[in-house]
Amino acid sequence: MSAVLVAEDLQTYYGKSHILHGVSLTVNEGEIVTLLGRNGAGKTTTLRSLMGLTPPKQGRIQIFGQDVTGWPAYKIARLGVGYVPEGRKIFGHLTVHDNLRVPALTKGRWTLETIYKLFPRLDERRSSKGGQLSGGEQEMLAIARALLLNPRFLILDEPSQGLAPVIVEDVMNTIRTMRDEGIAVLLVEQNAWLALRNADRAYVLGDGSIVHEGPAAELAADEKRVKALAGASLETSAIDAVT
Amino acid sequence: MELLLFNIFNGLIIGMFYALMALGLSLILGLNGIINFSHGAFLALGGYIAYSLTPVIGFWGALIVSPFAVGLIGLLAERVLIRPLYGRDPLFSLLLTFGLAMIMQDLIRTFWGATGLPFTIPDTLSHPLSQVYFFVTGYRVFLVVLSLFATASLFALLRFTRVGVRIRAGNADLETVSALGINIYRLRAINFAVGILFAGLAGVLAAGRLGLTPTMGASLLMPSFVAIIVGGVGSLLGSMLGGIIIGVAAGIVTTYYPAASDVVIYLIMAVVLVVRPRGLLGQEGLLE
Ligand SMILES: Nc1ncnc2c1ncn2[C@@H]1O[C@H](COP(=O)(O)OP(=O)(O)OP(=O)(O)O)[C@@H](O)[C@H]1O
Ligand SMILES: [Mg+2]
Repeated sequence: MSAVLVAEDLQTYYGKSHILHGVSLTVNEGEIVTLLGRNGAGKTTTLRSLMGLTPPKQGRIQIFGQDVTGWPAYKIARLGVGYVPEGRKIFGHLTVHDNLRVPALTKGRWTLETIYKLFPRLDERRSSKGGQLSGGEQEMLAIARALLLNPRFLILDEPSQGLAPVIVEDVMNTIRTMRDEGIAVLLVEQNAWLALRNADRAYVLGDGSIVHEGPAAELAADEKRVKALAGASLETSAIDAVT
Repeated sequence: MELLLFNIFNGLIIGMFYALMALGLSLILGLNGIINFSHGAFLALGGYIAYSLTPVIGFWGALIVSPFAVGLIGLLAERVLIRPLYGRDPLFSLLLTFGLAMIMQDLIRTFWGATGLPFTIPDTLSHPLSQVYFFVTGYRVFLVVLSLFATASLFALLRFTRVGVRIRAGNADLETVSALGINIYRLRAINFAVGILFAGLAGVLAAGRLGLTPTMGASLLMPSFVAIIVGGVGSLLGSMLGGIIIGVAAGIVTTYYPAASDVVIYLIMAVVLVVRPRGLLGQEGLLE
């Protein structure tokens, strides 16, 4: 199995505040890896560091075997890294179609046409403003936008946030399909149970450093640990009850 | 009555200059996040370059080449001077563009002299189109039509091309655009150059109407900022309308009370800020 991502000893700051204290993680080809942790643990900061949006002061990042430390975000994206940011960051004043015309043009199976086939709902809403979409539709749009880069590595920041349980399952199915098609996935989730059920491996982040890593199933089995480390909330058991 | 029409028409033409300036300023403010105090100097440069090109390639050639030449110089200025200032305190870019304006004005004085120069327009354009309305010359009509055409082209570019879509997206969230694989350094450079190209075009047109002086752009700059505020920051259509409105308003006031024609611009701004602080078309996104 070859590594898609190898991050070593990331030290990231926002101004003077030191947020990541030496985060290291690996994502291999063909797996879904989840990164868990309480609010404010540094999950988003980790993803932003990997994408080059908040470059780490120290540490090394390798993607597809290429040293990308210090690269600007657009170059990292063009290597074939799709990023679905926290809060989705849809361009609310642009139409769905225009949102999908923003990503850089790449070669591969994902084009506007194939994307509209995969997400028929987006096709129907082509000329609606991004801001008028429902949360689920916005999430689909954010994933679609990232897929247009024809990524071999997909990074998602809390895709389930604010979505109804049924829609969450839709999103998870999409993510699993992508994995099955050979896209490696790094998934950040508040909803630990949900993430563990879908992931192959898991990391837990606590106050800016990795405090646990291992197979997802193993961590899922340790209910107390999940509750304590990942801050799994009551709402997540509610979702389990539904699904 | 004729005098009123005369002044309204004059105001409309000045308003077109404000509008072309305001469009460029708005573009640059939106994506580059820079209040470009050197915009007027680029306008003057457009006029002067056209002046020097006219004997060589004629008026029509100069009309096309000069704005693009100025756009290229803008591209260079962005690359060398502006780029290092992105993400820094806005005060830096304010001071830099202000200084750049001074330097460019002095360069113009050095190359072309401090006194005004006449800019001749082709005979075909200088005749009145009507005996009664003697002030409606071919050139003035041409000027209005070309300005509207350039504006329409810009709107079409922003609406229909990928670069335009990315510029509009970047106005709202440049970081996400970059995470989608777009070279935002290049996007900002293109955007800046297009904004400057519009200043250059305004410069050529203004030269034929107002003549050339090194400070010709400086006197158009403040009203253009007012046009943006009146039209609504963030709305290109608003900037355009704002420019025309204050130009025409100043023209009307000139008929009855010439001394107040400058003041009225700021009066309109004050009223807009009190009654509708976001400007006529503010808050809505670009073009919407
Ligand atoms: N732009 C910023 N400037 C300063 N501090 C920040 C900034 N963004 C985040 N932080 C701080 O960095 C820490 C980690 O934040 P981060 O957003 O990475 O956490 P998270 O694990 O993604 O949390 P959540 O689950 O709420 O999304 C927090 O203490 C937060 O307050
Ligand atoms: Mg987060």
